[in-house]
Amino acid sequence: MPEPVSTTIGICCIGYAAIQGGMRGSSAVSPEAQTVRFAVSAVVERAERSQALFGDKAAAISQLQAMAIECAEPGWDGDEASAINPLAVFIAENFVRALPNFIPLPEFAPEPDGSISLDWLPSRHRLFSISVGTNNRLAYAWLDGADKGHAVARFDGDRIPQRVVEGISAIFSHGNASIRTA
Amino acid sequence: MGMLPSGLPDIVGDDEEVTRFLTQSSHYNTVMPRPAAFLPDPKSRNKSVFRCGAHPERIREIWEKTTNFQQTLKAAAVCKTAEVRNAGVDVIAKEPPDAHANIEGWPWLANDPELQKAKQKEIAAVIAQKSALVML
Repeated sequence: MPEPVSTTIGICCIGYAAIQGGMRGSSAVSPEAQTVRFAVSAVVERAERSQALFGDKAAAISQLQAMAIECAEPGWDGDEASAINPLAVFIAENFVRALPNFIPLPEFAPEPDGSISLDWLPSRHRLFSISVGTNNRLAYAWLDGADKGHAVARFDGDRIPQRVVEGISAIFSHGNASIRTA
Repeated sequence: MGMLPSGLPDIVGDDEEVTRFLTQSSHYNTVMPRPAAFLPDPKSRNKSVFRCGAHPERIREIWEKTTNFQQTLKAAAVCKTAEVRNAGVDVIAKEPPDAHANIEGWPWLANDPELQKAKQKEIAAVIAQKSALVML
């Protein structure tokens, strides 16, 4: 989400509070002034939404990095697991940043081959798990009641593959599943 | 059917529970173990488990006999052998150490590692779904 984030940063830098204050205090009534007010209002609303979203994603990325540090040495599972690969961490971070706003953020788990698992577990009977390794081909699997499956999708670093978006959305589309169970 | 040095049968019965030690809090949540907890090790091509059931004291006893104490045991995932086999893999006794077994028979595709991983993930997800979580 580079555009909203940079907008947020830009607004913060040039005087976010000043813009907000200007909106509240404005008494302009001409059509041109109202157009400006609406435009500024839209920018502020977008910036606030982006800021909240970026905050959640930043927290998720912090969790990911903490997990990577915890599993930075081989044998982190008490067996023969490989250390988490830094490239997998990099790709996983990009994946989180690229997630559409309406997709809940995942939980993370280390895998024995040094990859990172991004999991959505709304319930014991519905889950979606995607594996981020050291290239742009992502393995994933899902359980949805009696239905289950697996596939591979390509991630270009910017856009989440549509099949993956649809898969995650599908397991959250039943009832009122809680978004994050951990 | 023969007996192993531990006194257990050399064939793991469908009714037996197998236990995976969990040393990472990211391998489970409040509901269940996560699929990654059951993915096979790429070097040994299997997943190490123990035939120690779901009783916390027995799990700790086996852990203390077999660990190098470099990790802390946080929880255990316990699954019926029949459920593991229904997922498409097998449980084979492999001692020593006592009560040790491996989940074997995972798909390995030399020409497509990501498809291989996807297939393994689906199996691991099924086992995780059928497993009970024991907090230690």
